[in-house]
Amino acid sequence: MAFMLSLLTQERVLVTEEVDFVKAKGVDGEFGVLTGHTPFITLLDPGELVVRKGETLYSYYVSGGVAEVLPKSMIVLANTVERADEIDMQMAQTARKNAEEALSKPISEIERRTYLLELKRENVRLSIAARRHSTRHPGQLSEE
Amino acid sequence: MPSLRSIRGRIKSVKNTRQITKAMEMVASAKMRKAQARVRDTRPYAEKIKELMIRLAAIESHRPNPFFQVRPVATVGIILVSTDRGLCGPINSNVFKMVNRFMAERPGVKFEFVVIGKKGQDFVRRSGLKAVGSISGVKDRGQIEEILPATQVAIEEFSEGRWDEAWIFYTEFVSTLSQKPRSEQLLPILPEMSESGAKKPSPFLGEYLYEPDTADILDVLIPRYFETLVFQRVMENFASEYSARMMAMRNATSNAKEVIYQMTLIYNKLRQAAITREISEIASGADAVQQG
Repeated sequence: MAFMLSLLTQERVLVTEEVDFVKAKGVDGEFGVLTGHTPFITLLDPGELVVRKGETLYSYYVSGGVAEVLPKSMIVLANTVERADEIDMQMAQTARKNAEEALSKPISEIERRTYLLELKRENVRLSIAARRHSTRHPGQLSEE
Repeated sequence: MPSLRSIRGRIKSVKNTRQITKAMEMVASAKMRKAQARVRDTRPYAEKIKELMIRLAAIESHRPNPFFQVRPVATVGIILVSTDRGLCGPINSNVFKMVNRFMAERPGVKFEFVVIGKKGQDFVRRSGLKAVGSISGVKDRGQIEEILPATQVAIEEFSEGRWDEAWIFYTEFVSTLSQKPRSEQLLPILPEMSESGAKKPSPFLGEYLYEPDTADILDVLIPRYFETLVFQRVMENFASEYSARMMAMRNATSNAKEVIYQMTLIYNKLRQAAITREISEIASGADAVQQG
């Protein structure tokens, strides 16, 4: 049983179609959505959003936002989204290295937190991108 | 009777004008295509977040939130979206007319403006209205950050109780040939706000589960809703501006063509008349010589 997923940012539409399963990262932890889910609204943490449609999995990096789940639909209003194939591994690696270097130096607490977040973010992006290279179906859900 | 030389001069100047309007038409049409694509890309998010807010506004337990509360209206805040430049047909003046009508329908209410675009600033100044904030020079491919100064002022005015309602006036992009002035209430968010014509938000009126909790989610969603809608409406306005300018310039170009055609006709008639006159003068001069 499929339900309607809209994955949107303020600037573009990534997905609007029927899908079978979505896994996303809410502020209180990961959650999965199937048709008939209890209505709920959650803020999203930076992390991976996985969509299953039929036999194929699609992966996105979502930087945060809000998700609304209804029994027959799910809307993800994301701040920014990158499709797995859009993630620039080299840039992510450089960013991770920079963050690691910055963390090894003595810095203020606020700076440390920013860099820790940055590090976490780049790690998620890299793991998504790395998985993409190992899956046999790196295809994307929609061309939009 | 105008002289040949003066007509030639006028033809030349109209040709110059035609070249300018033609160039403006082409620039506008290139920008228009991009702006239209941008409208297509930004509409879904704005629509969805608006529907979501309307659904949330319908839930009883959210009523105490000031952004969902109707209060007696003493001051209405208007976000006026206009263009920076002219030569784009009647779209600005249509919106201004709508603002004037809106104000006339509400006697005894004060109005305050947050203006986006130079033409709107001129209008507010000319009409002696009160602007609490204004920005111009927003880029058509700009990021949402560019309009945040305007939305922050508006949200502040509303949340501190100086505005009892917040509206936005802009020109909706319908098609290349048609742009509609629109007024839309943004705050407070009311369950019955979904305008006629737009499809009704899905009739879910129960309670949600919230993570982390309602207040946190509303704190994130409300400013985001407001910013997104203003941003999207600014994008609509850009698509309208370029479409209207392209059409205006296309008309100007074809008018110029028509004028050139008419003047060339007159010019040729005059030229032939002059040639005929000259020949007959020469002929009669020759006759006179032969007879003499």
